[in-house]
Amino acid sequence: MTSTTAHPLTTTRRTTLAGAATLGVLVTTAACGGGSGDGPAADTAYEAPSSDLEARITYGLWDQAQVAGLQRNIDAFTAKFPGVEVAVNVTPFSEYWTKLQTQASSDTLPDLFWMNGPNFQLYAANGKIAPITGAVEAGDIDPANYPSALVDLYSLDGVTYGVPKDFDTIGVWVNTDLFARAGVGLPTAEWTWDEFQDTAVRISQALSAQGVFGAAGGMDGQTTYYNTIFEAGGEVVADGKSGYASTDAVAGLQFWTDLIASGGSPSIQQLTDTTADQWFTSGKLAMYWGGSWFRAALTDTDLAGKVQVLPLPRGAQQVTVIHGVSNVVSASTKNRQAAQALQVFLAGQEAQQQLGSAGTVIPAFNGTQGTFASSMPGTDLQLFLDAVDYSKPLPVSENTAAWNALETDLLPDAFSGARPVGEVAGDLAQQMDEALADE
Amino acid sequence: MSEALPARGAGREPARGRRVRRDGAWPWLFVAPLTLGVAVFYLWPIAQTAWYSLTTFGVFGGTTFTGLGNYAEILGDPTLYRSLVNTLLYTAIVLLNIPIAVCLASLLNLPGLRFAAFYRVLYFLPYVAMPTAVAMVWRIIFNGDFGVLNWALGLVGIEGPYWISTPWASIVAVAVVGLWSSLGFSLIVLSAGLKNVPPELYEAAQLDGASRSRQFRSITVPLLAPSTSFLAVVTVIAGFQLFDLLYAVLGTTNPALPKSLSLVYYFYRAGFVDNDKGVAAATAMVILVLVGLATAVQFRLQRRWVRG
Amino acid sequence: MVEQLDRVAAPTRRDLAKAQRRRGGSHVVAHLVLGAGALVMAFPFLWQVVMSLSTNAEVQSVTPSFWPAHPQWGNYAAVFERLPFLEQFRTSVVITVVRVLAQILFCTAAGYAFARMRFRGRPVLLAAVLSILMVPSQVYLLSQYQIVADLGLLDSLGGLVLPGLFSAFGTFLMRTAFLGMPDELEEAARLDGANPFQVFWRVMLPLARPTISVLAITSTLWSWNELLWPLVVSTYAERMPLSAGLATLISDRTTDYPVVMAASLLATAPVLVLFVVLQRRVIDGLASSGLK
Repeated sequence: MTSTTAHPLTTTRRTTLAGAATLGVLVTTAACGGGSGDGPAADTAYEAPSSDLEARITYGLWDQAQVAGLQRNIDAFTAKFPGVEVAVNVTPFSEYWTKLQTQASSDTLPDLFWMNGPNFQLYAANGKIAPITGAVEAGDIDPANYPSALVDLYSLDGVTYGVPKDFDTIGVWVNTDLFARAGVGLPTAEWTWDEFQDTAVRISQALSAQGVFGAAGGMDGQTTYYNTIFEAGGEVVADGKSGYASTDAVAGLQFWTDLIASGGSPSIQQLTDTTADQWFTSGKLAMYWGGSWFRAALTDTDLAGKVQVLPLPRGAQQVTVIHGVSNVVSASTKNRQAAQALQVFLAGQEAQQQLGSAGTVIPAFNGTQGTFASSMPGTDLQLFLDAVDYSKPLPVSENTAAWNALETDLLPDAFSGARPVGEVAGDLAQQMDEALADE
Repeated sequence: MSEALPARGAGREPARGRRVRRDGAWPWLFVAPLTLGVAVFYLWPIAQTAWYSLTTFGVFGGTTFTGLGNYAEILGDPTLYRSLVNTLLYTAIVLLNIPIAVCLASLLNLPGLRFAAFYRVLYFLPYVAMPTAVAMVWRIIFNGDFGVLNWALGLVGIEGPYWISTPWASIVAVAVVGLWSSLGFSLIVLSAGLKNVPPELYEAAQLDGASRSRQFRSITVPLLAPSTSFLAVVTVIAGFQLFDLLYAVLGTTNPALPKSLSLVYYFYRAGFVDNDKGVAAATAMVILVLVGLATAVQFRLQRRWVRG
Repeated sequence: MVEQLDRVAAPTRRDLAKAQRRRGGSHVVAHLVLGAGALVMAFPFLWQVVMSLSTNAEVQSVTPSFWPAHPQWGNYAAVFERLPFLEQFRTSVVITVVRVLAQILFCTAAGYAFARMRFRGRPVLLAAVLSILMVPSQVYLLSQYQIVADLGLLDSLGGLVLPGLFSAFGTFLMRTAFLGMPDELEEAARLDGANPFQVFWRVMLPLARPTISVLAITSTLWSWNELLWPLVVSTYAERMPLSAGLATLISDRTTDYPVVMAASLLATAPVLVLFVVLQRRVIDGLASSGLK
């Protein structure tokens, strides 16, 4: 068996490559041991926990800023289940998914962990996470308590896997000071795309000497072009196909191309060097399309008193992208009962109320969001909650990252006007369909 | 592996055979601890990767043999070649740190130079600084609208580009950071190397009337040859691994990114963005072959340069 | 050499003094070059210091101020509130010490054998060792993780330390150092009946001290700043090294950059102090070592 390797490297004679040639020998041994099948099929087992449950479980997440709030949740949980010990494991977002993939490949995932929309289907389709079906049937989790768009986001083929923990929607953050300086009146909540474009250009023109722009686009779909594509009546991904080729999607993209072309927004290059939120926090941007999370960046700044929020301007319809993190249980956990108990507890009204009062995120449980709405004196954040009614989930598929990369590669040419938007969108749709077909 | 080795050693001439016998089992005792660790923790993963490169590999494991398909896919992809060119450009610029470091090291080594220790610490700073923080600071420096660099260029009438979001300029910008952060290391290696040069050589040369630059050329440079060629090999190997810096400085939504990929970034995209581990493994093997060739060539050249 | 020195010694002291003066004069140029270079080298680092004392709004502002309006010393205090800094610091020290010692031991031994001993398969083995520097480091992650998991070493000091005990780079560095050494001493020791280990330990190792100190510096820095591996194999914040702990301060949407900067400066400081001490003792002090 050692003599049969036909590795291409063995044909070279270079000494430095000889080491690689010996590796060829090892390759065949690897071939024998390699390859484990997909994870176990979705197992819906659920058993309501009793208070004498004993276990040590790990809870994996990526945001240090939320640990203090979650620790209160966990303390309340362990008060109820004194035999359960919970270790919180924070991994920064940029390494979180690499770590999770490594752990999933060797079935050592944390017992309970955070999941986001773009990665959810990958883990669900490969049997790495457990459905919540059992807990729902037992009446311990009621999906009706959470924004339905989020429940959809964490469902695959009719099975729900994740319980939403929090959510965010998109609105327009407004620097009222710049409006006053430009002599432009504040728009109303019922504004349209045209009004938005017009306002942006007028402010840019009035304050160009100070390097101020009216509004800003950017390459972050969640806060910008996904919203306008939806508002135009288009789709990003639907039924395993790209929606970019449709005229509605093109209209949604054209919105940003027009904004940049008219001088209402900095160019894509300017927005790469200095992101839209930085333009805004520097007092050089009048209108910023941003998520509810942006509130944290404004606390304790000079801007805080000068900021208002508006709903997104209407296109053919009014839509905002909604996204949120959910708690999922590992399919291979050895402490399933305890992990599910914590999942159920964190999804409950008591824990969600507690999370909301910690103030970092908007809790997902309907009716527990009051603290957020009033967390910024002088600014009415209620619209981020009202937006749930007309929200659509962040577009995802099984391998979201693959076509997210295509968007990043192709769309700059559309936004900068280097190529016609329709042409770029057509290319994107075609390449995206190929990527989707590979799933 | 042990089966492959005797075959290669079989054809040695007798003269060398005697020396083999003289050292006996000693060399193996010396290399065993390192080699065992390296075999288990590094060579084994490479071997697995070599196998995966011939398969379609599920995101979480599970392989299907597909032969050379992955190689055909990447070798037919123009982006791979663009990534290679970018990587070479980066490496070439970072290599400049060696001549710069030779000059600086010989200045720092001037007998009686005051504050030498202080300078050394300052030059060492970039090497110790935390990479994440470094990338953030440089992003601010390179900022097209508000960056210090373009402000300084503006003083002399040059309008600087958007460094990190213009193709080519982005690679140059990242290479400058690479050069900046590797200079400290080169300086330490060369300082250690200069300690091997007896100061009497300079004093004698000086009394013979040799000018400073003559001393530099005929004493410093030749005697540093082992150190500089070591640095050259290491810099090329490290240059081909360009990823972290590019990722941190350019960000993930940069319009220049598709034209600014490095080979390892290409690998990363395949493996961790597109989740195509088979293609990623094939890319890793291509990188191994390319760097292996480059290193072999350098060893050849070096033998001439160090001895000549 | 000795002849030259003798020639220099008595009669030409005047010449030497003249040479010294000439040298002193041209140091101005050296200081100009070195000073300008040092400024460029240190500038980003100095700016990091400034940012660590700013507010997040100031850091995020596009018109950077070169000195914060009100220095925020609280950013440094915040580091200790958000991280189990001292525990993580201790873990970093332990991991780094173990790795540096192991690397010095393994790399000098292997580097010596590769440079100065002859044995079958040496070029192949050397190429194999070097080849591990030539593939993307992510290639190792999954395999190493699985080995460490199989050994039951996840969340342990052993798991954190393990793959980093063996360094191809260090081996190559030491091999280069041993290659450049004169044969005479080694031959003499052998003729005196010393076995290869004694030759290595008593004769060659002391000669390699400058390079060993380079190895110590580089492996310290590498281990101290290593990020992905400790993040992947550790679960509990108190048992992570500082590099991993620091990284957890960076969030996807809202990051307090000044605190990150302050934390990274706090983490860098000990290595910098170590370097200052080392370069005094090792680099400056080399002239008096067994080198000549």
